Parts: sequence; C-alpha cells; structure tokens
Amino acid sequence: MSDSKPTVLKNIPITVSKAPIEPPPGADAEMVSLYQAHKKIYPRSVSGLFSRWRWAVVFLTQIVFYGLPWLEWGQRQAVLFDLGARRFYIFGLVLYPQDFIYLTGLLVIAAYSLFLFTAVAGRLWCGYACPQTVYTEMFLWLEKLAEGDRSMRMRRDAAPWSLEKFARKAAKQAMWIALALWTGFTFVGYFTPIQLLATEFIEWNLGSWEIFWTFFYAFATYGNAGFMREQVCKYMCPYARFQSAMFDKDTLIVTYDKERGEPRGARSKKADLSTLNLGACVNCSLCVQVCPTGIDIRDGLQYECIGCGACADVCDTVMDKVGYPRGLVKYTTEHALEQKWSKAQTIRHIFRPRVLIYTAILAVVVGAMAVSLALRIPFKVDVVRDRGSLARIAEGGKIENVFRIQVMNATEATQTFRISVDGLPDLKVASEQEFSIDSTQARWVPVRLQLPYEGAPAGSHTIHFRIEAPGLDQSVTEKAVFIVPR
Amino acid sequence: MQQKLMWIVWPAFLMAGVLELLVFAVVDPQDLHWFGQSFEMSRQTVYTLGFFVFWFVTALAGALTLFLSLPPNEVNQSPL
Repeated sequence: MSDSKPTVLKNIPITVSKAPIEPPPGADAEMVSLYQAHKKIYPRSVSGLFSRWRWAVVFLTQIVFYGLPWLEWGQRQAVLFDLGARRFYIFGLVLYPQDFIYLTGLLVIAAYSLFLFTAVAGRLWCGYACPQTVYTEMFLWLEKLAEGDRSMRMRRDAAPWSLEKFARKAAKQAMWIALALWTGFTFVGYFTPIQLLATEFIEWNLGSWEIFWTFFYAFATYGNAGFMREQVCKYMCPYARFQSAMFDKDTLIVTYDKERGEPRGARSKKADLSTLNLGACVNCSLCVQVCPTGIDIRDGLQYECIGCGACADVCDTVMDKVGYPRGLVKYTTEHALEQKWSKAQTIRHIFRPRVLIYTAILAVVVGAMAVSLALRIPFKVDVVRDRGSLARIAEGGKIENVFRIQVMNATEATQTFRISVDGLPDLKVASEQEFSIDSTQARWVPVRLQLPYEGAPAGSHTIHFRIEAPGLDQSVTEKAVFIVPR
Repeated sequence: MQQKLMWIVWPAFLMAGVLELLVFAVVDPQDLHWFGQSFEMSRQTVYTLGFFVFWFVTALAGALTLFLSLPPNEVNQSPL
C-alpha cells in the first residue's frame, strides 16, 4: 500500500518519550512513589478567553452539583438515588430497576456526545467539564489564595521551613479539606436525603455508610485535585489514551503555528522583526509554565494535552505585549493551519461525514429516549406462576391456576388497580379483583383463576391479564399460560 | 513492582464499578439465596461485598494477563 501512494504519508508531530519505561536496576528500592517518578508541576495562573470559559463551566457544573440535592419536589428531595429501596427519584419521575433501559440510554447519549464533541473540537470534556479539571481548577485557586502564584510557591517550597511557610501551608490544607469534605457530603446527599444528613452531621450522629462514603469521596477529591492532578490524566484515564481515535485533521485542537513561530528566540523590544532572522515566538516559556500537564505545546500534539487552552491564553497576552498579532498558539485544525484556511472555511469543514453520523445517531437516541419517557406507563406488572401447584380442582369442580402478580406503583399517590383476564371463555378471577398500592410501593398479589370443568381441552392455553389503573387511565396487558390437567 | 500492582488494581477497580452497576441493576440482593438459605444481610452490605468480589476477580484477570505476557527470558530468569 505504501508504494502506490507514498505522498499521503505525512510526518505527524507527536513526541515520543525517549525516557526508559522501566527504572534502571537498583533504583527500584528507592522509589516508593506509586506513580511514575516525576517533577512537581506548578501551573501558573492564567486569564483569557479559554480560562474564562473554563471558570464559567466550573461555576455552572458546581452550582448544579452542590445545589441540586437541596432542591425540594413536593414532599421530598427532587433528585435522590435511594439505593437501599432501589428507587431513583428525578423530579417528577420515579424509576425502578426495571427502568434500567433509561440509564443505558443515558450512557449511550453520554458516549456519543463525547465522540461528537471530541471529533469537532478535541478534548472539550477534558479541558472544561471533567471533574478532574474542575476540582483541580478550584484547588489551584485555593492554593493561589494561600500560597501565591507559581514563582512564589516554587520559591517557598525550596526554602527551609519557617512560621510563615507553615501557616500558609496549613491554611491551604484547611481550605482544601473543607472543600473536599463538603464535596463528599454533597455526594452522599444524592443517595441519602441531604437535609437529614445535614442534621445528622451537625449532631455527629451519622451512620457507618454515610461516614465511609463522605470521607472516601472527600479523600478522593482531596487526593485527585490536590496532589495527583495531571497524573490522573496522564496515567489513570483511559479516555486520554484513546481520544485520538476520534481525531482527524479537521478536529479543532490547541496548536502552535510552527511556521510563524520558528526560529524562536529572545529579542529586544525595539528590534524590527523583518530584519531579525527570527519567528514570532519570543521563547518566553510562559506556555510551558501555565500548562497543567507540564508539556511544551511547541513540540506538537501530545496525548498529555488536555486541550485546556491555557497556553493559547497566555501566548495571546505575550503577543499583545510585544505587538505581534495574536494566535501564535491557537485553537484551530491541522488542515486549517496547513492550508491557511479562513475561519469560515474551517467552520465549513466541521460538517463532515463523521460528525454528521455522530449527530444523527445522537439525535435518534435522544429522540427515542424522549418518546419512551413521554409514553412511559407509571406502573409495572410482573406475572409469575405459583410455584406450588400447576393446576388444581377447586370447589364445584372448577379448574384453578394460581398466579402471583407483582404490581409496582411508580407514581407518588396511592393507586387502585383492577385485574381482569381473557383468552378462554368463562375464565374468571376468583380472588380479589381490586386492590390499592401506596405511592412508590410494590406488592405481590396472589391471583386465583377459575375455569368451569371441561371449559377448555387439556393442555396449556395462552391467556392475558389486564391490569387497569383507573386513576391513571392506563392499563398493562401481560401474557400468561393457563394449564388444564388431563 | 508497585507500578505493576497499579496496572492490575486500577483498571480492575473501574471494571468492578461497571460490573456492580450491571449486576445490581438487574439483581435485587434480597432475592438472592445462598445454598437455599436467604441472605441475612442488608442491601448495602451485599452491594459492598459484591463490589469487592468483582474487584478481586477482575484484578485476578489483569494479573493473569500481565503474568502471561511476560517474555520467555523474563520467565526463565524470574525466581517466581
């Protein structure tokens, strides 16, 4: 295949680490770190377009996350996943395990959204919405509050311990732990009514599950956002490894314009660029300093790049300062950079088959889920034959089959249900035909069916139970088998 | 060694979470029987124990993969 079209092969600038993967022999004993030995990264704070977007998403997602459990819906919490009772409450909806299909639908939607966003604009999820990024951003902000920005933190970490260093570190830890605990508490609040949890927390009267999960989630938040940070993305996240499968040359990525930037080098402010043998990159290294994963974007596209755009933001400020046009590091596609496309041309290339297919599948799944939720019958029925007997003779020589019918009321009001049966002439429900079930409860109802003697030939006959809920004006039909013995 | 341990344990943790979701979405712990006897445990207990069982077994699969993917010379030299 290579000899037919050699021109399509192009050198894609991906840096390959030349460091040995295995530590040298003998080094093993010294290394106690669970993670690959690495240099601590001190991301410098940055402001600009992408940073503002990230903060907007941080606020949006976190207001929802911390606020949602406190929302009330009628007499209960609006969103509550009651695992103990196996019921999920989502606003007006009460979901049973039988509604697992909706969770599957939700996961399919999440997956295709991820594919779509990645194909169009690279790692949007990683750069803006992933909890790892969001909490790291919040923890970094607290760190900056207590310890100052990058250079101050580096200087202080290198300096010997002093009262000031201790006080600042302690303040940072206190803020981190408080935020982490609040996060853990909120997380548990999705599974246990949060108002109850809050009173229990104040009285320090928590159950063992609540204590375990609050502290476990708090610890995970603290560890991930405070310490592991970029290492989660680099070593633990499967998505980081396979996201490139969704990339093509029309995917928007954070890129350094090598042609314009090189050869890089420092220069005096007054120097005229045209007389120097230099590109636009002033080699200030700020793009490396702001990078949360500690890479150099000028080396090309790398799997460590989470697409946060911090380097693009900081480079724009530098370009403004030295009076060059912005966009030396910018959000663009490989094709656009190569062929010097205008913005309109780049946007036109978003609508390519891959993106259209993802969008179509996504639209179908969302549509199907919406229709299915709208047509959902808010009660469920399960018919099981009684295990004790297949068929028996009841009083008056009637043939009797016994069933157990489970009815689940997924509404938040008591409902009356009525059972009827058809499929055989003169087949009757001999047990109680009407019963009521409390809100969001389920009940097994024994049902006896009777058929007059010789009402049907020996063998099995298909019958249909019909369970009506007059209060809901809806009914469910379930198939069953009636057995007539020889 | 510790790095290899993380290679085994971390993906197993993720997949145990997936298994937990799949299994307990369908299975109600209160319907389970243990050699004909019903469980005397709360749902939360079964969820938790189930998770650790899933984690352990998935980790075993990862460990086996790692073990079987050792190149021959490493197997020959290894005292294990």
